[in-house]
Amino acid sequence: MLDKKVRVKEIQDLGARNYLLTLRSPEQARLTQPGQFVMLKCVENLSDPPLLRRPFSIFDIHRQSRSGKPAGLVILVKDVGTGSHRLAHLRPGQEIYSLGPQGRPFQVSAEMRNRVGVACLVAGGVGIAALYLLAQSLLLQNVKPILFYGGGGTPDLVLRDYFERLGIESSYSTEDGSLGERGLVTLPLERFLRGHRRPDLRIYACGPWGMMKAAHDLAVQYQVPCEVSLEARMGCSLGACMGCVIHGWDEHGKEEYLRVCQEGPIMSSRMVDWDTSPF
Amino acid sequence: MTNTQRFLLFVIRYSSFVISVKSMARKTITTEAQSSPRLAVDIAGVRFKNPVLTASGTFAYGLEFAHLMDLNSIGGIVVKGISMKPIKGNPPPRICETSSGMLNAIGWQNIGAIEFVTKKLPGLRKYATNVVVNIVGFDLNDYLEVARFLNDCPGIAALELNISCPNVKKGGFHFNKDPRDAAHITAETKKASSRLPLWVKLSPNVTDIREFARACEEAGADALSVINTFVGMAIDVEKRHPKLRYVTGGLSGPAIKPIALRMVWETSRAVNIPVIGVGGISTTEDALEFLIAGARAVQVGTANFYNPAASEQIALGLQEYCRSRHIEDISEIIGSLRI
Repeated sequence: MLDKKVRVKEIQDLGARNYLLTLRSPEQARLTQPGQFVMLKCVENLSDPPLLRRPFSIFDIHRQSRSGKPAGLVILVKDVGTGSHRLAHLRPGQEIYSLGPQGRPFQVSAEMRNRVGVACLVAGGVGIAALYLLAQSLLLQNVKPILFYGGGGTPDLVLRDYFERLGIESSYSTEDGSLGERGLVTLPLERFLRGHRRPDLRIYACGPWGMMKAAHDLAVQYQVPCEVSLEARMGCSLGACMGCVIHGWDEHGKEEYLRVCQEGPIMSSRMVDWDTSPF
Repeated sequence: MTNTQRFLLFVIRYSSFVISVKSMARKTITTEAQSSPRLAVDIAGVRFKNPVLTASGTFAYGLEFAHLMDLNSIGGIVVKGISMKPIKGNPPPRICETSSGMLNAIGWQNIGAIEFVTKKLPGLRKYATNVVVNIVGFDLNDYLEVARFLNDCPGIAALELNISCPNVKKGGFHFNKDPRDAAHITAETKKASSRLPLWVKLSPNVTDIREFARACEEAGADALSVINTFVGMAIDVEKRHPKLRYVTGGLSGPAIKPIALRMVWETSRAVNIPVIGVGGISTTEDALEFLIAGARAVQVGTANFYNPAASEQIALGLQEYCRSRHIEDISEIIGSLRI
């Protein structure tokens, strides 16, 4: 984990208050694993308000066009509050504070090559941010990712083209029916799980609490291992403030408040007490 | 003189010039090192290499910050509140940001004294800094049990008695209602941990903090940490819910600094034991204000969350402040307020 002041390379307006931010930070890019996050703060001096840094999933690694070497971090920002509003209105060349990469990543290993066939990536809205590096990593392990992507309407389903360019099979669902199937993302997911009862499936979910809870319920019902990417209000991301906890069970089954920044953000969905929302 | 000779002469002259510049630079460094201001302070017989510490609950058990700053650079680390047995803490949401501050209601989640001593303390002892252990409990016996246990553990410089946390329903805060209760727990804890200096961390949520300060001093406190957080709250106007599940929480950060500073000033004039200033310190200037007001040392708290190296930067900043103003010893600053 590195504490850096990094320069904004590019910022792209994706519509519906979504922005794609490219930060120049080769060292942090080199260290990044799928599912990890950075804490960003956009002020002149670190002691200026808003005080606390905000956690953001690392969507992609920006690479040098010639050498392909890691050059920066690509971050999806939704303009929803004071901290994210500042980030969304940055200009190229401006500097911000970036602490990371950090957190427990998705558990993708070479062992998966022969044991896992298909990975269901389940995204709700900006939850897509945690899944793109994972998709790339799974492809490298010869695992086939299928994207189940849902949101309120078409404008919420940002960055679809990134997945399409990788040739990933995608199933879209919107609550207003403007794209793909009308309804929740878990409907096509359930249909898929019902039709493909095989032991080499995995589920990876990131999105609103209710969506991840539904994905977990399906994972239990169809006996598929499931990892989720959690979010929480975070004070420090260093395991010090104990502010970002969710209620659950540790790997030994002991009831505990688990820190999203240390024991997560990626956790097995079985570790989470889905009946106790942290919001 | 041939061109070759001229060139050689130039090289010789140039290299001797470089050497003399280098040695001058070395001399300057040596002279500066000799005139380095003395930053060390004494708190109840324990020497702190400088008056900058980290505040309990904001720096975990110290080691979590070792890769982001030099732990050797600060006077001490006050570790997260420790109880004898592990405590699970309050349900989330536990924190929220407010104007220039934050609210927390963590509820003393900690790993317990045994795990702290066996798993965290050995790593922490490798650093050249003092370890102060903040102790918590739900009733008097809890406090005495953990104080007795830690009294026998090597590697601890002092205990900090936390009787001021606003985020637990029983214990802790109860001792803030009456100075006599604060004095009682201070006296009992002092007996239980006679080997170690005892600091008492006072609450600002009282009418007159000086009464509590004097009561603790008379009961045997060796130093006072002034202050803990203020009770506050925040509401989500859409849901009409409190932003914290515990409803209220402790307010910290720059927002509380002026009040903390006033309380440190009042307290340091009311007692003879050292006062350690805590509350919203995030820059060198903040730390200086507390020292000038009468604090023997300061603790950096919430700033650690958004600037993990804040305490190291403040320690360096104090050194620079003294050096640039030809202050030989930090004690010249402490309590030097001119009114």
